[in-house]
Amino acid sequence: MLSTTGLRSTRHDVEDEQAAQELCRAQGWTDGLPIVPPTPERVVACLDRAALPPDHVIGIEPVRARPITAEKAAINAVLAGCRPAHFPVVAAALEAMCRPEFLLHGATASTGGCAVLIVVNGPVRRELGMDATFNVLGNGDASAAVIGRAVRLVLRNVLDLQPGGLDRATLGHPGKFGYCLAEDEEGGDWTPLAQLRGAPSGASAVTVLAAGAPRQIMNEWTTAPEEILETFAAEMRANMLHYSIWGGNYAIVVPAQLRERLQDAGWSKPDVQQFLFERARVRACDWTRVGKRALVTAANRDEEHAALPSPADLLVVAAGGPAGGFGAVIPPWFGHKSRAVTAGIGVCFAC
Amino acid sequence: MDVLDPTAEARPQSVSRAPRLAALHHRRIGLLSNGKIAVAPLFDQLEALLREAWTPAEVLRLTKGNYSAPAEPDVIRQLARCHLIVTGVGD
Repeated sequence: MLSTTGLRSTRHDVEDEQAAQELCRAQGWTDGLPIVPPTPERVVACLDRAALPPDHVIGIEPVRARPITAEKAAINAVLAGCRPAHFPVVAAALEAMCRPEFLLHGATASTGGCAVLIVVNGPVRRELGMDATFNVLGNGDASAAVIGRAVRLVLRNVLDLQPGGLDRATLGHPGKFGYCLAEDEEGGDWTPLAQLRGAPSGASAVTVLAAGAPRQIMNEWTTAPEEILETFAAEMRANMLHYSIWGGNYAIVVPAQLRERLQDAGWSKPDVQQFLFERARVRACDWTRVGKRALVTAANRDEEHAALPSPADLLVVAAGGPAGGFGAVIPPWFGHKSRAVTAGIGVCFAC
Repeated sequence: MDVLDPTAEARPQSVSRAPRLAALHHRRIGLLSNGKIAVAPLFDQLEALLREAWTPAEVLRLTKGNYSAPAEPDVIRQLARCHLIVTGVGD
């Protein structure tokens, strides 16, 4: 067990928990919701669980060269309501976000206002009792809520991404309170997301994506995989025209009802990726239908744009409640500027 | 009870401002666009105003390859030759 004397952060002496709430609110350290006071004992318990010394650098924000130490990450995890068992997941997500291809500064400071989507795979889901079914993109799971919130509070407090400060988001979206879900690996025979992206079978991992808000689709009127996926493709095409035409990492969330239709017909995740790679395309001249005529020129009007630069750029996530022909398309922040990153929890897959 | 500070605390070293230029005659001026489309007309106008008011030795127009990422090393090297740099966002 680490000692609390190894912690280097300034200690604020407050009378009680209520005073701690007031201190954090007054200092702007919260997202507006109540916090758990980050006492030295609670912070050390998180560090112990992840076997990280306080001064361990989880990652360095590449543009401003700002380090995220394990101690600061753990303090914010406690603030967010994390128990020690959540902290290794938070640390893995932060490590993934600091990889150069994630483009952390751009993704978190941009007017585009994306949030960090975190998908959790592997045995850690069961250890945390994570539910990947009902309300999976809402308030369906307490662990997902605090993991997502912890990442947001690290951005706010350690990297100074305060709204209106370095965070220049015009609108943002509700995922900026927290945007985390587990994959329903037991609900069907699809290969888990992290495994498709290179994680060893049976390993716990997180995948992070700089992502816009989920766009819900519905198709309860067919069992044909092509028709079901055409609805997802249409939503991706709509995003390309209404938001950004540039291709990148899209995610789709496929709940049980539609997933069963696809799996019963023998469609694997790579089959889904290939179909949407081919179907989620628009032409620049399609902009004329959505009020963006000014962008269409004689030179570009016939240019075809694909939502996915390659089939593997689609993150297919099995999650959601058992009933309802719904699904979600989660678009990238802005084309391929930021790339999805998968990282092991407590282990480095590349090392 | 003790509550730990969740902010970075360790602040980057403060930097001092470069000396202000009294005049721009015979100076090299760098205009760094982040690549957004609205920067171009802004900088066109700015360059015209600069050339009208002063006689700069050079007005160097440069553009970052990715407006969400730092400027490339070669761009930084070219800007290092300038006496004055203006950068634009263009949203």
